[in-house]
Amino acid sequence: MAQDPPEASSRHGEEQDAPRRVAASTGDLSDAVIQTLAEESPDAIVVVDVQGRLAWGNRQAEQLFGYGRAELLGQEVELLLPEGVQKAHLAHRAAYMENPRTRPMGVGLDLKARRRDGTTFPVEISLTPLSTDSGDMVIATVRDISERQTITGEQAALRRVATLVARGVPPEDTFAAVTAEAGRVLDADFTSLARYDPDGRVTLLAAWTGTGDPWPVPVGSRWDLGGGNLSTLVSRTRQPARLDGFGDDIGLWAADVLTLGVHSAVAVPISVEGRLWGLISVFSNHEQPLPAGTEARLAGFTQLVATAIANAQARVELRGFAEEQAALRRVATLVARGTPPEEVFAAVTAEAGRVLGVDFTTLSRYHPDGAMTIVGAWSRSGGPVHFPIGTRLPAGRNLHTQVFRTRQPGRLDTIVGDLGPALAPALAAGVRTGVGVPITVEGQLWGVIISSSTREEPLPSDTEARLAGFTELVATAIANAQARVELRRVAEEQTALRRVATLVAQGVSPEEVFAAVTEEVGRVLGVDYTAMSRYEPDSARKVVAAWARSGSPVVPVGTQELLGGPNVPTAVFETGRPARIDRYGENAGPAAVAAIAAGVRSAVGVPIRVEGQLWGLMNVYSTQEERLPESTEARLAGFTELVATAIANAEARAALTASRARIVATADATRWRIERDLHDSAQQRLVSLALQLRAAQATVAPDAGELAGRLDDVATGLGAALDELREIARGIHPAALAEGGLRPALKALARRSAVPVRLDVRVDERLPEQVELAAYYAVAEALTNTAKHAAASEIDVAVQAGQGGLRIEVRDDGHGGATFAHGSGLVGLKDRVEALGGQFILRSPPGAGTAMAISLPLDDAGRRLR
Amino acid sequence: MPGVVIAVDTDDRMREIIVKVTEVPIRVGLADDDVLLREGLASLLERSGFEVVGQSADAPGLVALVRERRPELVIVDIRMPPGHSTEGLDAARQIRSEFPDIAVLVLSAHAEVEHAMDLLAGGQRSGYLLKSRVIDVEDFIETLKRLVRGASVVDPALVAELVSARRVDDPLDVLSPRERQVLGLMAEGRSNSGISTELFVAEGTVEKHVRSILMKLRLPETDDMHRRVLAVLAFLGAR
Repeated sequence: MAQDPPEASSRHGEEQDAPRRVAASTGDLSDAVIQTLAEESPDAIVVVDVQGRLAWGNRQAEQLFGYGRAELLGQEVELLLPEGVQKAHLAHRAAYMENPRTRPMGVGLDLKARRRDGTTFPVEISLTPLSTDSGDMVIATVRDISERQTITGEQAALRRVATLVARGVPPEDTFAAVTAEAGRVLDADFTSLARYDPDGRVTLLAAWTGTGDPWPVPVGSRWDLGGGNLSTLVSRTRQPARLDGFGDDIGLWAADVLTLGVHSAVAVPISVEGRLWGLISVFSNHEQPLPAGTEARLAGFTQLVATAIANAQARVELRGFAEEQAALRRVATLVARGTPPEEVFAAVTAEAGRVLGVDFTTLSRYHPDGAMTIVGAWSRSGGPVHFPIGTRLPAGRNLHTQVFRTRQPGRLDTIVGDLGPALAPALAAGVRTGVGVPITVEGQLWGVIISSSTREEPLPSDTEARLAGFTELVATAIANAQARVELRRVAEEQTALRRVATLVAQGVSPEEVFAAVTEEVGRVLGVDYTAMSRYEPDSARKVVAAWARSGSPVVPVGTQELLGGPNVPTAVFETGRPARIDRYGENAGPAAVAAIAAGVRSAVGVPIRVEGQLWGLMNVYSTQEERLPESTEARLAGFTELVATAIANAEARAALTASRARIVATADATRWRIERDLHDSAQQRLVSLALQLRAAQATVAPDAGELAGRLDDVATGLGAALDELREIARGIHPAALAEGGLRPALKALARRSAVPVRLDVRVDERLPEQVELAAYYAVAEALTNTAKHAAASEIDVAVQAGQGGLRIEVRDDGHGGATFAHGSGLVGLKDRVEALGGQFILRSPPGAGTAMAISLPLDDAGRRLR
Repeated sequence: MPGVVIAVDTDDRMREIIVKVTEVPIRVGLADDDVLLREGLASLLERSGFEVVGQSADAPGLVALVRERRPELVIVDIRMPPGHSTEGLDAARQIRSEFPDIAVLVLSAHAEVEHAMDLLAGGQRSGYLLKSRVIDVEDFIETLKRLVRGASVVDPALVAELVSARRVDDPLDVLSPRERQVLGLMAEGRSNSGISTELFVAEGTVEKHVRSILMKLRLPETDDMHRRVLAVLAFLGAR
């Protein structure tokens, strides 16, 4: 039926609302045409006289109301109206006749008309007043708007559902609204909405009954597919299905439905994003089957439901995604801030657990044998986890072992068999399913995160992937922490090396450097014992420094052992390269006896080369099970280089000192010999000359008095020269020193001193020539100096030979204030003493006399390493 | 064999007279590695009435010479080959042990107390002189004769050094200057008569001084000149 837009009739009404006179005849159309027009009009037309009686009706009026024309004529128009409005209509009619116009009737009202059989239907009525010879009449045009209302009603229903969907109402609420709206719109007796589950069962999500009676099956019930019922049909065909009669094979569920008196049913599938998600079913008690258009009309609703579900899923996903991103970001922030790993572990287990919606999450570190130790744990309930931090779980037929072996994520969807006693607490806590994802740090398998649930359903298939985001962050945190530890270790090592280098640069004695290095190395490498040894002739080693983390060193300083056997010092000696022993065998050789006795398990040794020559070795010992790390040899190298430098420096210094000493000594000796020889040969010459002169004198004639006199003068002069010569020589070259040693020489010095000398010489044995010379010259110079500057009345000289060397002390009671200033004579003495490797200490407070303490080394060896 | 055999315990004086009377030249052996000096010394001695019975350039040669020729006096340089240290002293010791009657004079370029004491410990008729003493011919010859007669001789320069050593709380402070003088001469090996001649005082005065000195220094009184010299030397050396 054509539908006039309502605007047209009102427009028409506005334009012409005056009564119209009907012309008896008109020029445009013939009466017959007009008659046909009215008769055949698709709208029902009736004419009502002023008394409200029907004067005429067209065919459509007959059809619409179900009366024959004869039955209509003369009846009150109220016959065509529902009983409830008849009385009111009388009044309206009267009012209209007062002011008749062409207009719609009952604007804004839901007008209803009544059929012969008593049923009502919605109508639109427009009125046109008519003035005829027979009196005033009203033409009423009646239009059946049932279908329009039905369609409008459907649209409204759909719009209401769409609004719910758009508002993002939870799908469950949408289901209930859909079943109700669809049921009303389709005029069904019952509707239901169900979902297909992955396990092949169907879950009832919503149900509506037109009467308001409860649905026989509670919402949430589940039933198996199978049988000739709607849900099975739809699931198989993925097409709408209808049952216009129920056979025997309808399944258990349908039996309940039958109790409602259902005769026919139609079901339409709900597809979400291309997948069969569920179905909407409508049921009717009517004898007649549901109209053919029911499937199509249900489609609008199923689409809205699908949209709602898809939206909800998308929102859930989005929210889940957003939550997950936020959780990952929180963890990443902790990692970036360098939070200690333990805190990161705790945070990860909590965030992952919440995001994944599981009941427990644990984070564990693997041991080499596949066992794992819990380092982080979280429980949804907030209570203690069945495996507290620190628990060690052995390898076995369980999830973490599976992950350990495969290095891939794994899952336990059902617990079969015995997981071993260690995992009993998990079962006791109700764990039924779990997923484990490995944590790999820098390519090495480090540990595992396990999320577990107490629900029967397996964890979603994307759990592994989602956990992976967290495991990556954990791996980063661990790698960062490891890197920080490594950095700290490197920094410590650098600091230790710097400390040792400073000692070396300060020219500290090699023994001190050795001791410092063994200690620094021990601390930096974290070993139990360290030792430094020197290789001696005859294939032996002598320990020059040793350190122990606790207790006494493995091999005490000074120990000498023969090389030989499968031990580290021997290996380094023979190959000249670093060596290590990871386990001592029997008969490891004398150089290993002490180490084995101390419980050493592994040892590493590195050669010390001084100027290209193998000098000794440094070794470290560990009593731990695990062998010393591979990096040990390389790390030791830095220290051994410093040691070699220290030794080379010391040897160079010693060589320098020795050469200076040699220079001084040689100079002294040479000078001594030259002068002695000079004097002695001069003296010899003079004496010989004098003798010759005497001889000549003897031949002179007695009367050559003058000549004899002159000769005598010469002889006297020679004698004087000899005396002078002797005087000079006495101070320069102490003959007594070479022949008698220090005591007689110093005694002679003392005797000749202008200032009385009290001498205390406790040296009876002969000392090395250069030492005696040096001591003699030192005392001579000191005495000279004192006599010249000190204005002393007495000088004390004490000489003593002992362990530390030759010690000479010269004290006077003069006015003090002696310094090393230029020209004081003392600086030369100091230089000489120090060039010989000795020490010169001067104490000369003004007014309190002067004291000099000189020490000269007695042995070559002591000098070399100083 | 020329020369006079004289009994060991004869009085010095007697010996002096006998020697003077007999005018037998004293037989001398010389040892010095310096040829020039040795020859010079030899001619000096010859001129002075000594008979040089042999010369050697080293200690073994001297010992052989002494054994063969039995001189009365040996003059030896303290420093000789091979070591050029105290070979002369060692030779002197050896000679003294074999022939205690032979007078030994050791000449040295330097005067060392220890050598003097070492030498004199071997008994009287030991002398220790600086080489330069030979120039003063008269004194030298006189000293030689004294030595042969049984005296002990210590070079005055050495004694002077010993005596003049400065000491705080000097034990020599108790001596008068004259006594110090006498002490020095005692240390040189002079006899009382020698001292009195030297100082131009009466021998009795010298004896008095000597006694005073020995007492003040708490040294043993002795008539044995040699022992006296040793004691004084030791005292001075230890001071």
